[in-house]
Amino acid sequence: MGLFDFLKGPSPEELARRAAHDARIADIQKCLKSGDVPGSIKTRLEAVRNGTLPWVATLTPAELSIVRSHGLRPIAAVSATCWLHYGWSWTEGHAQGWEQALRRLREEARVAGANAVLDVKMRTIALGVANSMDFTLVGTAVYVEGLPPSNDPIVATVPALEFVKLLEADVVPTGIAIGAHYEWLGLWPGNTQGRWMGNVEWRDLSQLWELVRQQAHQNLRSHARAQGNGVLAHLNFSQLIDGGEQNGRKQFLARHIVVATTVDARRNATFPHNIKIVVDTHAGGTPLTGTKRHHQSYASNEAEGAI
Amino acid sequence: MATQIPVHAAERLKGLRSSVHSTGVFTSDFSVNEFLLVRKAGFEPIGLCVGTCVYHVGIQYGSWSKNQELDVLSKAMYHARELAMSRMRAEATAMQADGIVGVKLTIKRLEWDAHLLEFIAIGTGVVHAEGHKGFRAHDGGPFTSDLSGQDFWSLLHSGYRPVEMVMGSCVYHVAHRGMLSGLGSVARNVELENFTSAMYEAREIAIERMQYEAANAKAEGVVGVEIHEGSHGWQTHVIEFFAIGTAVLPLIQEIAPEAIEDPIMVLSVND
Repeated sequence: MGLFDFLKGPSPEELARRAAHDARIADIQKCLKSGDVPGSIKTRLEAVRNGTLPWVATLTPAELSIVRSHGLRPIAAVSATCWLHYGWSWTEGHAQGWEQALRRLREEARVAGANAVLDVKMRTIALGVANSMDFTLVGTAVYVEGLPPSNDPIVATVPALEFVKLLEADVVPTGIAIGAHYEWLGLWPGNTQGRWMGNVEWRDLSQLWELVRQQAHQNLRSHARAQGNGVLAHLNFSQLIDGGEQNGRKQFLARHIVVATTVDARRNATFPHNIKIVVDTHAGGTPLTGTKRHHQSYASNEAEGAI
Repeated sequence: MATQIPVHAAERLKGLRSSVHSTGVFTSDFSVNEFLLVRKAGFEPIGLCVGTCVYHVGIQYGSWSKNQELDVLSKAMYHARELAMSRMRAEATAMQADGIVGVKLTIKRLEWDAHLLEFIAIGTGVVHAEGHKGFRAHDGGPFTSDLSGQDFWSLLHSGYRPVEMVMGSCVYHVAHRGMLSGLGSVARNVELENFTSAMYEAREIAIERMQYEAANAKAEGVVGVEIHEGSHGWQTHVIEFFAIGTAVLPLIQEIAPEAIEDPIMVLSVND
């Protein structure tokens, strides 16, 4: 390598590499716009589907064995991203971002010839680009032996073990539903501090929260309706922000985001198995007593349910 | 009636037998459950295998406003891991192991130099208790796997054996805000397509590379795949996309493909 190499200009290989990169980025952008799966990903998924490339699964061996014993076969790891800039609303952006990523994930799964995507994790890459966030989903596309590929694969944000547990109980996890809502509240200064020093409810803020949470859950319900007949909400995120003063009024912003796994459940059907008492000798966390968090996009203040 | 303690164990408890095993000492970083399950799977641990590589990662800057792979860094991250792993595998070969389970691959930054990274691969070398050589990798050397002892047992009982740890790396520079100029005043939520496509390209490169390795190892599939993003002291917009998993092959001749029982599902009532 010479000292003045940088004066020579790029080598033919470097030029070819750059051209390949430019072509790939152009193709990715074109495909994302038209709702298609980018060319290079499509080629890979089709190769896995035909068996010319090995399958890829994010499942653990225990999950692989339970999945196989229920006739499911892994195809490929699929993923989707939507990086959204909040010009209008942070809160509603979360619904938009996840929804877009979900659409793209379904499309990848469809190209892979899948019936379902399991073990879907919600992720965010922390690049710290102001007023924007990355909404990423990663999961494993699977097909069910003996079933034709689905045109509308289901997306399950639960680990494979829980997916199979639900299937046995005749419950199908089908997708992700988001309910997001925010409201501003402006209060005259006299309202913001109770002059009375005793115990008293701050009605304005209580009502603000009631309104925001009810509306968020209403949005959740309508978003879920298109995908299933119920939800298992696994994430509740809320923030109350002091927005300073405007025109002499003190401003508050309350926002609430609910993220849930939608399910399609036969009503009034109970779990068919008997219950046996066993002792679990595992130290620490085990699949028996809960599973790992399946998201890392909301780091603070969420209360998590079973899923 | 209390369960009988096995003769061998009882003798040791009575102080009749030396604590030193006649065939030498084995070392491992197994937990109790792992140890028991690896042995249940028909393997004996023989020794910890370690591979280390301290690597000076070269310098490469992405242009400020451009999405691009930083191939100098990608190659460094891949090459250093490969060196650590192959040294670990050489140790295992020297002790005539049939495979290495529970491989942990870690990266440490050395305090005094931002460009120095230490890559460590450590795992437990195991041999098949009955001397079956069919578990070795396609090149006749020991298999490698990042699966724990429990996972190893589960994998064999789902009809597969591990072949090789496979990985793919892509260090990527994501363009800066330059392209956002003009967006500041837009009162709409819009997708930043440049950022989205950068994520797509980088992740795809990492997965493609991993899958290519698996195909080279003549594997049927890859389990336990993790796709993660990390930064190792680079500039803020430089991310490594890293895909890693264990390539597997179906058990055909290695152990009699006995009818593997279906696992039993358990619902916990005390979550």
